[in-house]
Amino acid sequence: MQAKQCALKQGFINCHDCGYLVKITQQLSSCPRCRSHLHERKPHSLQRTCALLLSSFFLYIPANIFPIMTVTQFGTGDAHTIAGGIIELIDGGMIPIGLLVLVASILVPSSKLIGISLLLLSVYFRWKINARRWTFMYRVIAFIGRWSMLDIFMISILVDLVDFTGVQIIAGPAAIAFAAVVILTMFAAENFDPRLLWDKQ
Amino acid sequence: MNNTSYQACPECDLLIDLVQPEIGEKIHCPRCGLLLLRPRKQSIERTFALSIAGLILFVPANFLPMVGITLLGKANSGILMSGVISLFNENMWPVSIVVFLASILFPLLHISLSLLISGHLYFNRYNRNLVSWMRWMHHLDEWVMLEVYMLSIIVACVKLMSISPLILGWGLYAFITLIFITALLTSSLDKELFWQHIEQLSKDNKHAS
Repeated sequence: MQAKQCALKQGFINCHDCGYLVKITQQLSSCPRCRSHLHERKPHSLQRTCALLLSSFFLYIPANIFPIMTVTQFGTGDAHTIAGGIIELIDGGMIPIGLLVLVASILVPSSKLIGISLLLLSVYFRWKINARRWTFMYRVIAFIGRWSMLDIFMISILVDLVDFTGVQIIAGPAAIAFAAVVILTMFAAENFDPRLLWDKQ
Repeated sequence: MNNTSYQACPECDLLIDLVQPEIGEKIHCPRCGLLLLRPRKQSIERTFALSIAGLILFVPANFLPMVGITLLGKANSGILMSGVISLFNENMWPVSIVVFLASILFPLLHISLSLLISGHLYFNRYNRNLVSWMRWMHHLDEWVMLEVYMLSIIVACVKLMSISPLILGWGLYAFITLIFITALLTSSLDKELFWQHIEQLSKDNKHAS
């Protein structure tokens, strides 16, 4: 019954860019409405997502162990990692803001990495899953990804404002790794095709 | 069967026989729950007006100082671009490029594209680039991160409050208004309606020539 409702099995392709429904014919390779290439499913979805995911896993390590910024006060430098900055906020009594940064720069990236891995594994090994619930999880992952950029923007503001002779904030190497993790996981989520969850049922 | 009444859900590929919804109605996919259609009132007119407002606000939001601090008797204030430049000068150019794209270039492109598209549709003008503009705008959606930037301004302010009094500038107020405008813009832009209009315009254009 479910298989019958699938547009592809009935001979239709849904355009990725404009959502136009196209009947599959021999000569049609691009969408008649927006001229973008037609694909049954996102091309090489699993391979691309997997490659992007592995790269972000590796970059996630330097992003967490290297300092993300250094506060220099009259010659003495004080390097902060991502976790260190949060602990300092909470120690200083700014608990809500500390929790916000904790969510945006630790919970969101790590749950994204785990979530996308689970999605990939479930499609690859054809796990028996509740596809509706997993599609919802995909949607959450795709939505929360951008909010991890919070830390990166904050560094750009702090580095710019706190620049006095004597007192300075300098960005650390972890900033590059962390920005790369955020962007790569956003691409990974974009390349994953949630329809694969429904196809393999 | 090749008409607009049939649609496939982009996230679960369910083939759905859609009844064109009324304004104010929402249509969700019955199988996976994705919001499929939500027609908006006067979508083209509102998008056109909001894009103009957004472009105008973009100038003060980018060129007036947003937040300033005073330390050791010296004052320092920042705008969007100065953060990008400071990072670049510290040899953090990959990060500075990312910040530049997500907080300045992509928002500007997104508003300009929606102005171009809604302007053409408003005046019923055909342009063969309309289709490409729509596709670019669709792909840019996710990379416009103004509201994330707003949240980082708040966090940065809280961190700085302990070391110095803050001076909030007009740039910040313009930036907040810009975020409201872009949020309204995104919600008033009905993509399906825009695509249908563009399709109609290109058909008329073919007949005319």
